[in-house]
Amino acid sequence: MADITIEILHESLDPAAETGALAGRDASAGGLATFVGQVRDEPGLKALELEYYPGVTKQALQRIAQTAARRWMIARAVIKHRVGRMTLGEPIVFVAAAAAHRREALDAVGYMIDMLKTEAPFWKRVHTDTGAHWVEAVDADRDAADFWMEEIASEDA
Amino acid sequence: MKLTVRYVAALRDRMGRAEADLDLPEGIADSEALIGHLRAAEPAAEALSHPSVRLILNDAIVPRPAPLSDGDTLAFCPPFTGG
Repeated sequence: MADITIEILHESLDPAAETGALAGRDASAGGLATFVGQVRDEPGLKALELEYYPGVTKQALQRIAQTAARRWMIARAVIKHRVGRMTLGEPIVFVAAAAAHRREALDAVGYMIDMLKTEAPFWKRVHTDTGAHWVEAVDADRDAADFWMEEIASEDA
Repeated sequence: MKLTVRYVAALRDRMGRAEADLDLPEGIADSEALIGHLRAAEPAAEALSHPSVRLILNDAIVPRPAPLSDGDTLAFCPPFTGG
């Protein structure tokens, strides 16, 4: 059974420290895959604000990691997600998986970040010089989640 | 039936408030009937009927239509945009 760690962080997220803490930790793991999402520049950007739904968001992330652990042979899954206010370049999310072989680790990370985008209750708001606007969901994220759901359904069939 | 509704993120801005306690008339059995009731009271509630709107009923993300019971808290959520 994979070791799963889920955290919602209000202050800071340090991907280098997170990766360092995982490197070499699982004796069975020949591969450690990580993904870091960070605040991207856009015209007039002053800050990015992340809102979540206490009591529900963490549980949704847990479910995503559990599904990844059922589908791929991974020793460990980690999802750490920031909420609150962030500035340009600041990390938003850290996703990692350790597995015996690289393909399992890479696919598990791909699954977790893609599913998180559409299935975990977070909402982004961009603050700019001229005001603030909520970030709209994009079809590409929906398509990525659909890809994995079909992938998992075909495995189960 | 007593119900607490929450409006999250962009829907909170649209509705002009984060939460409301409602005392509903008989016959409102699910989320879609509730949206119809809310739309009759204020045009801004039309945004709640958009198919992309997700529901959190008490502590769980649920599909639409969601059956409602006395004392429930129902949150209307825009599509999720984390990561």
